[in-house]
Amino acid sequence: MMNCAECRDNLVACAEGLLDREALLECQTHLEACAGCRAEYQAIASLQQRLVARGHAAAEVSMVAPVMQRVLQKRKEPEKETLMSTILKHRWGFGLGAAASAAAIILSTILLTSPNAQAKAVEVMTKGAQAVAKLTSIHLRGQLRTYPQDNFSSINADSPFCTIELWKQFEPEFKWRIEKPQRVAVMDGVSTVMLIKTDDTGVKFPHPSSSAFDTDWLQRIANISNTLSNELNNAQAKGWKLTTTEETAADGKLKDIVTIMARSGVPDNDYGRNNFIGTADTRRVYHFDAQSGLLEAVQIYLVRPAGEVKVFELNEIDYNPSIDPTTWKLELPADVSWAQLEPPKLPDNAKYASMTAEQAARAFFEACSREDWDEVGKFMSPVTADLKKYLGGLEIISLGDSFTSQAYVGRYVPYEIRLKNGDVKKHNLAIRNDNPAGRWQVDGGI
Amino acid sequence: MDLTDKEYVEHCRDGHPEDFGLLVERYQKPLFAYLTSRVGDSGQAEEAAQESFVRAFLSLKKLRKPESFYSWLLGIAGRVAKEQFRAAVQRQRDREAAETMMSDASDPRETYPLEEAIAALPESHRQVILLRYYERLSCQEVATRLGVPLGTVTKTLSRAYALLRQELAAREGAVPTVNQTQS
Repeated sequence: MMNCAECRDNLVACAEGLLDREALLECQTHLEACAGCRAEYQAIASLQQRLVARGHAAAEVSMVAPVMQRVLQKRKEPEKETLMSTILKHRWGFGLGAAASAAAIILSTILLTSPNAQAKAVEVMTKGAQAVAKLTSIHLRGQLRTYPQDNFSSINADSPFCTIELWKQFEPEFKWRIEKPQRVAVMDGVSTVMLIKTDDTGVKFPHPSSSAFDTDWLQRIANISNTLSNELNNAQAKGWKLTTTEETAADGKLKDIVTIMARSGVPDNDYGRNNFIGTADTRRVYHFDAQSGLLEAVQIYLVRPAGEVKVFELNEIDYNPSIDPTTWKLELPADVSWAQLEPPKLPDNAKYASMTAEQAARAFFEACSREDWDEVGKFMSPVTADLKKYLGGLEIISLGDSFTSQAYVGRYVPYEIRLKNGDVKKHNLAIRNDNPAGRWQVDGGI
Repeated sequence: MDLTDKEYVEHCRDGHPEDFGLLVERYQKPLFAYLTSRVGDSGQAEEAAQESFVRAFLSLKKLRKPESFYSWLLGIAGRVAKEQFRAAVQRQRDREAAETMMSDASDPRETYPLEEAIAALPESHRQVILLRYYERLSCQEVATRLGVPLGTVTKTLSRAYALLRQELAAREGAVPTVNQTQS
């Protein structure tokens, strides 16, 4: 039997899933019997959740290249003659501006440590970034393998393709709209609103935003100059492989094609792996017109042991289009159900805040079972008519131990339920408590 | 092996400004997370983070304790966030909208001092926390990256958690749960 000192020595390894089966059982047995160690374990787990949430919020950040461009621009040192600047000057014969020369200095560090093929990729992508330096608006139209109503970044290799479209205006006022068949989000310069059409659920932020509702990956592609420099930076920092090929199209025009093998770093056994663009190992293929340097198409392939699957294809890119002002107006149904942005603290908040994920999942399903929708509303917002119809009167068959994923800030609780119509549903409930009230909120997996 | 903050700062001062990119690489994610919690919008946070790094670079010669680079950077970021907020309020067209923004952005420091608490950790502990949570490496990957045994990583994490909880308890007014009664 493990004593307190031994248990505490093992708490971090236990929380990290590093103990072997025997040590884990001993630790769990001690935790069940010892309130002090249990409180210590819960405090560690709570801190870990906070840290995971913070890391998750910053997962896609990559600003080394833009910062270094600005830094070097500010220093106003005489331009250094680098291999990259030489290539740029000689091949296209245009004078390098301050920003371009700064980029060349940064990118030269890649050249120094990379084979020639990577240098060529750097050259093509740098030219692509320069070609869109004065972008005022953009329209992207592509195809994503995803469920029509699912998150904007969600991918499913077994789904048919759905159309996904982005309109973005940089000047005179920053606005954007993203749409897939059952989900649309609009930032009209004043507020940011999303409508899920399947059940007329709305979410509204009362302020403008540059990105929201899981649209970041596509927003970043639309911001082409940054995307290309970020890809190069990632390739350098994370050792992603870059290759280039040249092709002649049917019309005789020369095309440069840059391929990047991007690794997500999410473990193979992680539940969230391959569910989102950012959690999958992907092969990203960028097609440029060699003459203008403009990006013309993008394909993203999911790389799995079973083989590659194309999950995204961007085949229409309109540069500086005139965008109809009605694009920024979102027609909302009269009976839209607005989601709470953050759950309020309840008079008996402590009762809910002290629950484990498993306890919260059980309380949620039990409330659905007895059709106590006020109670359900303490775990989910909004409680729509469709949700009531679907989950009302359910029967819980089983609930499992919760688990985490690098792709998600909360926890997943495995469940099996029998719906009122007799169908059995087995899935994982996504549930999170990273809100000021500290209450578990159902976030997906229904 | 990665160098310390102090070594990178000294390299930058000694005519190797490109080494500043390695400091950006090290702290871009915690700085972004910190600023997101302060300004509430990822686009503004990224803009503020870039501005903070640029200002830090330009003021690097004024940094008296190079080993405190990250704490110093957070201080700069706090000032940038305040400036950005004031500019945003000025841009609001009507008073009501400005008041909404004021209430939305009221003193988020009280709720989100996590990155400040991380800044107060000894550098070796901070490095493990940053790799584990902001770079999202597993414990084994952290051990490989730092060239230390796995047990060293879990011990460092354990100590870092205890220090973070003490720091957070002091800032948030909670009672730390270390050294509970043993059974």
